[in-house]
Amino acid sequence: MLRDITLGQYFPGNSVFHRTDPRMKIVLTALYIAAVFLADSWWSYLVMVMGAVLIILFSRIPLRIVISGFKAVMLIIVFTAILNIFWTSGDNEPLWSFWKIRIYTEGLEHAGKMVLRLACLLMGTNVLVSYTTSPIALTDGIERLFAPLKLIKLPVHEFAMMMTIALRFIPTLIEETDKIMNAQKARGADFTEGNLVRRVKALIPILIPLFVSAFMRAGELATAMECRCYNGGEGRTRMTVLKTRFTDWLMLIIFIAYGVGIVLIRN
Amino acid sequence: MTKIELKGVSYLYGGKTPFEKKALNNINACIEAGSITGLIGHTGSGKSTLVQLLNGLLRPMEGQVLLDGRDIWEKRARMRDLRFKVGLVFQYPEYQLFEETVEKDIAFGPKNMGLSDEEIRHRVADAAKFCGLDQRLLKKSPFELSGGQKRRVAIAGVMAMTPEVLILDEPAAGLDPQGRSDIFGGICEYRRKTGATVIIVSHSMEDIARYCDRVLVMSKGQVWAEGSCDEIFNRADELEAIGLDIPQIARFVRMLKAEGVDLGDNLYTVGEVYRALIPYFKGGDGGAS
Ligand SMILES: Nc1ncnc2c1ncn2[C@@H]1O[C@H](COP(=O)(O)OP(=O)(O)O)[C@@H](O)[C@H]1O
Ligand SMILES: [Mg+2]
Repeated sequence: MLRDITLGQYFPGNSVFHRTDPRMKIVLTALYIAAVFLADSWWSYLVMVMGAVLIILFSRIPLRIVISGFKAVMLIIVFTAILNIFWTSGDNEPLWSFWKIRIYTEGLEHAGKMVLRLACLLMGTNVLVSYTTSPIALTDGIERLFAPLKLIKLPVHEFAMMMTIALRFIPTLIEETDKIMNAQKARGADFTEGNLVRRVKALIPILIPLFVSAFMRAGELATAMECRCYNGGEGRTRMTVLKTRFTDWLMLIIFIAYGVGIVLIRN
Repeated sequence: MTKIELKGVSYLYGGKTPFEKKALNNINACIEAGSITGLIGHTGSGKSTLVQLLNGLLRPMEGQVLLDGRDIWEKRARMRDLRFKVGLVFQYPEYQLFEETVEKDIAFGPKNMGLSDEEIRHRVADAAKFCGLDQRLLKKSPFELSGGQKRRVAIAGVMAMTPEVLILDEPAAGLDPQGRSDIFGGICEYRRKTGATVIIVSHSMEDIARYCDRVLVMSKGQVWAEGSCDEIFNRADELEAIGLDIPQIARFVRMLKAEGVDLGDNLYTVGEVYRALIPYFKGGDGGAS
């Protein structure tokens, strides 16, 4: 039950996007986001939507998954759209008015574009990053991409290592929480009944064992890392060396063309 | 009389994702009231999944789980009562301890049952006795104890609810021999005093042979066989094929038999074999060979 809300939504597969170098994917995502924000005329929106559709198609992620990831934020999007409809005033006569509420064509247009833009943004980046990149590959990509920042003494490696460890242990912690919850339920604990105070109190039997084991695990991990002579990123070699291939660069060209295309048909 | 019955039970983890995994497939089994049943099977065969179905922590996708002839999912509101009736001790239960003192931790279950303080005190004292925890330990913090002691506290926490069915998922895993026999001794004691039905998941064929009347063998999410220890351990070769074993001493008896020394069948504990071997040493030649 808790398992359903994991952060890492990696969906294993073997599509073009799965095989793209994670560093390149971060760059592509940045390009994609820029392109989506640059679109303004309806024609550029059409190109934008087509881009999103193509990304989803080529990733071969089932549409069901893509949409279910989108559902979570649907409420926010609908809310912004409604705000847009009511709060935008136009130059022409209102399309519809009732009491103090006036709805203009501009409002509808704004809302429509807003929904499209947010939908494309979310689905596209989700597919490019979350669904097709394993968390480990992602942090690896981030570390390498930002490696130059080490020159100005930013702890890039340490940061990436922290992210990797955190990502690695999220599923473990969730599993652990599940287990502890079940163990307490087996002793008759009830997490769904009573007022707020009682419910918060009911969390104690879960949180204490969870923290105890998390701290113990952190200590063990630190020891295990030291036993294997870990002493930071200095001089560390890698098992998987990232190499950009021809298709990665091709992908970059396609994404640049996509962005330029959208810019060209702007108003 | 049948205490628990499983009818065509199937369970699936991670439905509708690429991580989908059928953990149980069409399980049919009966557990006799008052028996000690050993549940064996290689890792990943679905033992832990099965025991969680028995106290309603997991809901079967197909099939029914019957307790005293009634489907446990018939009335959802009674789920908590079911958990008090079917006590489940998880694998490595020492990680569930959270209270300030051992005493309070053992009292967590009975408190959830809404018992009086007087009754709770009784239950905690009884459960502690079953598990061999002395009075001095009860006042300590559970986090100060050794691994084996923590394990016993956790088991006592479930026994204190005096469940009619006590299920233990690998209760002795990772313990020293003394710790093992203490725990199993406590379980047997609990059953003797309360007449409860007991189910023990274990990887130790020795423990199964010594403490259980019935054995349920699982393989790949299905019930592979069900029977008495004799019936099951007689199929040594087949057991080996599904990644299981027979007690070492039984293997020894089989080897002797192959060498022409027949001690007889159904010997699974060192004590039994010892007694069977004595005549051979006493009479110099013993008679047979
Ligand atoms: N929470 C879970 N999520 C997904 N799969 C699981 C989960 N728990 C167990 N499984 C899978 O179900 C199968 C049976 O597991 P389990 O019941 O734990 O077996 P056993 O206790 O016999 O080792 C295994 O293949 C395991 O990988
Ligand atoms: Mg198990």
